[in-house]
Amino acid sequence: MSTAAVGFAARRVLRGLLTMWFAVTVTFFLLRLLPGDPALAIADPGMTEELRANLIASYGLDRPILVQYWEYLVHLVQGDLGVSFRQNQPVTTVLLERLPWTLLLALSAVVVTVAVGIPLGVLAATRARSWVDRVVQVGGVTAQSMFVPSIGVLLLYVFGVTLGWLPIGGAIDEDVTGLAAVGSVVAHLVLPCLSLVLIQLGSYVLTLRTTLIETLGEDYVSLARAKGVTARKVVWKHALRNALLPTTTLMGLQFSLLVGGAVLTETIYAYPGVGRAIFEAVGRLDFPVLQGAFLVLAFTVIIANLLTDIAYGLLDPRVRTS
Amino acid sequence: MRPVTARRAVRGLAAVLGAAALVVSAAACGAGGASGGKSATRIVIGTTADVVNYNPLVGNSRTDSWVTNLMYPKLMSMDMEGKRVPHLATSWEYAEGGTKARVKIRDDMKWTDGKPVSADDVVFTIDAVAKEKIGVVAGLISSYGSAKALSPTEVEFTLTKPDGTFLDNVGFWMAVVPAHVFGKAPSVAKFANDSDWVSAGPYKLTKVERGQRYVLDRVTPYPLAPDNTPNLEQVVFRVFGDVNTEVLALRNGEIDLVANALPPTLAKSVQNDNKLKTVEIPSLGWAHMQYNVQRAPLDKLEVRQALAAAVDYEAIRKSALQGAAVSSDSSVLTPTLKQWHDPSAQEYRHDVAKAKELLAKAGHADGLTLSMIYDQADPNIAKWAQLVRDGAKEAGIEIKLEGLERNTYVAKGSNRDFDIYAGSWAIMDNPPANLGLAFKCGGFINYANVCDPELDKLISQAQEQTDPQAAKDPIQRAARIISEQVYDNVLYVEKFTFAHGAKWTGFEQRPSELLSIVNPESLAKAKAN
Repeated sequence: MSTAAVGFAARRVLRGLLTMWFAVTVTFFLLRLLPGDPALAIADPGMTEELRANLIASYGLDRPILVQYWEYLVHLVQGDLGVSFRQNQPVTTVLLERLPWTLLLALSAVVVTVAVGIPLGVLAATRARSWVDRVVQVGGVTAQSMFVPSIGVLLLYVFGVTLGWLPIGGAIDEDVTGLAAVGSVVAHLVLPCLSLVLIQLGSYVLTLRTTLIETLGEDYVSLARAKGVTARKVVWKHALRNALLPTTTLMGLQFSLLVGGAVLTETIYAYPGVGRAIFEAVGRLDFPVLQGAFLVLAFTVIIANLLTDIAYGLLDPRVRTS
Repeated sequence: MRPVTARRAVRGLAAVLGAAALVVSAAACGAGGASGGKSATRIVIGTTADVVNYNPLVGNSRTDSWVTNLMYPKLMSMDMEGKRVPHLATSWEYAEGGTKARVKIRDDMKWTDGKPVSADDVVFTIDAVAKEKIGVVAGLISSYGSAKALSPTEVEFTLTKPDGTFLDNVGFWMAVVPAHVFGKAPSVAKFANDSDWVSAGPYKLTKVERGQRYVLDRVTPYPLAPDNTPNLEQVVFRVFGDVNTEVLALRNGEIDLVANALPPTLAKSVQNDNKLKTVEIPSLGWAHMQYNVQRAPLDKLEVRQALAAAVDYEAIRKSALQGAAVSSDSSVLTPTLKQWHDPSAQEYRHDVAKAKELLAKAGHADGLTLSMIYDQADPNIAKWAQLVRDGAKEAGIEIKLEGLERNTYVAKGSNRDFDIYAGSWAIMDNPPANLGLAFKCGGFINYANVCDPELDKLISQAQEQTDPQAAKDPIQRAARIISEQVYDNVLYVEKFTFAHGAKWTGFEQRPSELLSIVNPESLAKAKAN
C-alpha cells in the first residue's frame, strides 16, 4: 500500500473517531436535557429515601454531570456501554441481541432500493417526457411523501389480514430451523423492508433520472453514439456509470435516514431491532441503552459513508487518483 | 436507441419484480405454515412490551406481572368485586386485637424443582421485602413486625399496630418466591432471576426471545386447575410495539388474545368482527382531577366546587370514552368495589350557572386562569382534558392544558407542582389502605396536598378495623368528606375491553387490566372449541 493510501486511510479513521466522539458527546448531553427524571424510571415510588438514594448512586446518577460524562467515556474506551436502567442487563447484551435484525432490515432495504431503483431510473430517463416517465415521476414524488406508520398499517392490513400472505409481526417464527427458518425470516422481512424501500425509492429514482438525462446529453455520450456503440452499451456502460455518482452519495446519506426510519418501522412491524429498543428506551428514559444505541447507529452510518467513498472510487477513477 | 434501452430496463425490472413475487410467495407459504396461535393446545397472547424484570417482587410493568403471575403464587386472588379469595392461602384471620395475623396455606403446591411451597417460603419472602424495602409491597406493610412459620402450612405475622389492611395487601400484592433459590442471592431486590426459573404457577417460563416472545410450558400437577392439569400445554406471550399491529395479528389469527385493554376506538372496530369476541372488565381504579388544595385559589372550596360543576361528566363518558366508562358517583368508593360502595353517593351536577355563582362567591366573578397537567401519551385523558377545558371556559375559568412527557408528568405530580392534575389510578382495591396513601396528611400519593384532621381520623379508624364491616362506616364517611370538599374529582370508572379469538372459552374474569382474563386461574382453565 502506498504512503498516500495509508495517509488517506488514517485520515478517514481519525475523522470517523472524531465523528463518533462528537455523536457520543451530543447524545450524552442531549439526553440529559430531556424533560423528566431518569431516577423516577429507576426507583420505585414505594421505596424509602435511603434505598432510592442507594439505587440512584449505584447508577452514578448522583454525581455531577461532567463526572458522569468522563466516567462514561472511560468505560466506553474499555468497551463497557453500561447497564440498562430498566432491564438490569449490560447494554452490549441488549444491543447485540437487536443489531443483527436492524442490519438485515436496513441492508435488505438498500439492496432492493438499488435493484428496483436503477431500472426504474433508466426507464424514466431513456423515455423522458413519455407517459412512462410521468408515471415514474408521480410515483416517485408520492413515495417520497409517504409516512412509515401509515404505509405499515396499510401493508399489514392488505398482505397480513386480507390476503393472509405474510405474517403480521416479529422477525422469525418459533422453533424453525434450516430452510424453514430462512423462509420465516424472509416472510417477516418482506413488509418492513418494503416500507423502507417505498419511502426512499422515490428520491433515488428521481435523482438517477435527472442525472442520467443530463449525462445522456454530454459530448462523450454523443461521441460514443457516433462511433457506433450500441444504444444499450451507451446507456448502461457509459452514461449510467457517471450518473450513478450522485445517487451513490444519496444512498450513503439515505442509509442514515434508513437507520432512523427503522425506529418507526420496527415498532409498527414488531421487528426486534435496535430501532424498537430506542423506542422503548425513550419512554423509560433508559439513558445507557439510548446512548449505546445511538453510538451503534452512528458507527453504522460512518461505515456506510466509508463504503460510499469506496464505491465512489470504484465508479470514478478520478477519485482514486486524487 | 431508446426502444432497446427501455426494453432492457423493463426486462431488468421485470426480473426484480419476479424475484420479489417469488419471495413473497415463498414467504406466504412460510407464514401459513408457521404462524402463532393455530394449535388448540397453546394460546398466543399479544402484549405491547417486553418483560423487564423476572423477579416478581421487583417487576412492576404490566407484562412483568402477566408473566410472573403465571409463575409465582400469591396468597390470595381477587373476585370481580375486589374481594380477596383463596389462592395459595386457604384461610386467614386476625388475632390479639389485630396485632397478629395468621394464614393457612395449601399443602399440595410444589415448586417446579419438586420442593413443596411452604410457610418458610412465605416468611422468607415477607422478611426480604421488609428488610430490603422491595417494591410497592414494602410501602403497603408499614405495620409489619415479624413472621414465623407455625407449621409447614401455617404462618403467623406479628404487627406493630392493629392493621386491618395488612392481610389484604400482603395476600394480593406479594408474590411468594422460593426461599431455597432466592435465598442464595446476596440481595433479593437485586436478584435478576433471569434464567433457570423455579416457580409454582400453572406455567413455567422455558424460553425467552427478547423483543419477540416468551414461552411458558404447562406444569402438572397444578392443584388450582381442573383435574390438577392446566388445559393448555403452552402459553406464549408475543411482543408488539404497537397496539394497532397487535389487533391486526389477532384478526389474522396470528395471536389468540390481546392482554392489554384496547383503546375505545379500536375496541369498537373489534366488536364488529365476528371472528373475535370481546370481554368487558371493570377497572379497580378511577380517572380523576386533583386540585392542588394548598395553592390559591384552589384552597377555596367554592373554586373547587365551581370547577366540579363545570364538568359535563356524561359527555366525557359518552364522547371521550365512547361509552366505555361508568359513573363513580363522584366517590372514591367506586361501584366496582361493591363491599365498600356508598349507595347514597351522587355525582356532581353539571351546572354552569351554579359554577359561575360559586366563582363569584369565591371572589372570582371576573373569572380565573389555571393550568392542568396530564400525560400526553394517555389517549383518553388527552381527549377529556379538552372537554374539561371547554366546560370550564363556559363558566369563566380558563384552563391551560399542559400535555407532558410521562416522566415530567410524574415528577410534577410527585412534587405537587401543578394547579390541576388530570390522571388515573389503575388499582385502588383496598380503600382503607389506598385512601391513607392518597388523602392522609403527607400521604405518598396525596398529590392534592390534602391535610384534613377529620379525614385522617376516619381513615385511621378504618385501617385499624380487622373486620371489613366495621371499617365500612368510617371509610364511607371519609369518602363523603373527600367528595364534599372536592379533594378529588372522580370522573369515571373505565370499562376495559379485551379481545380474543371466538373459538376460545373458559376464561375466568377478574377486575382490572392487571388480572382481566390473563390471570393464572383463567389461563389454567381456558380452552379452544
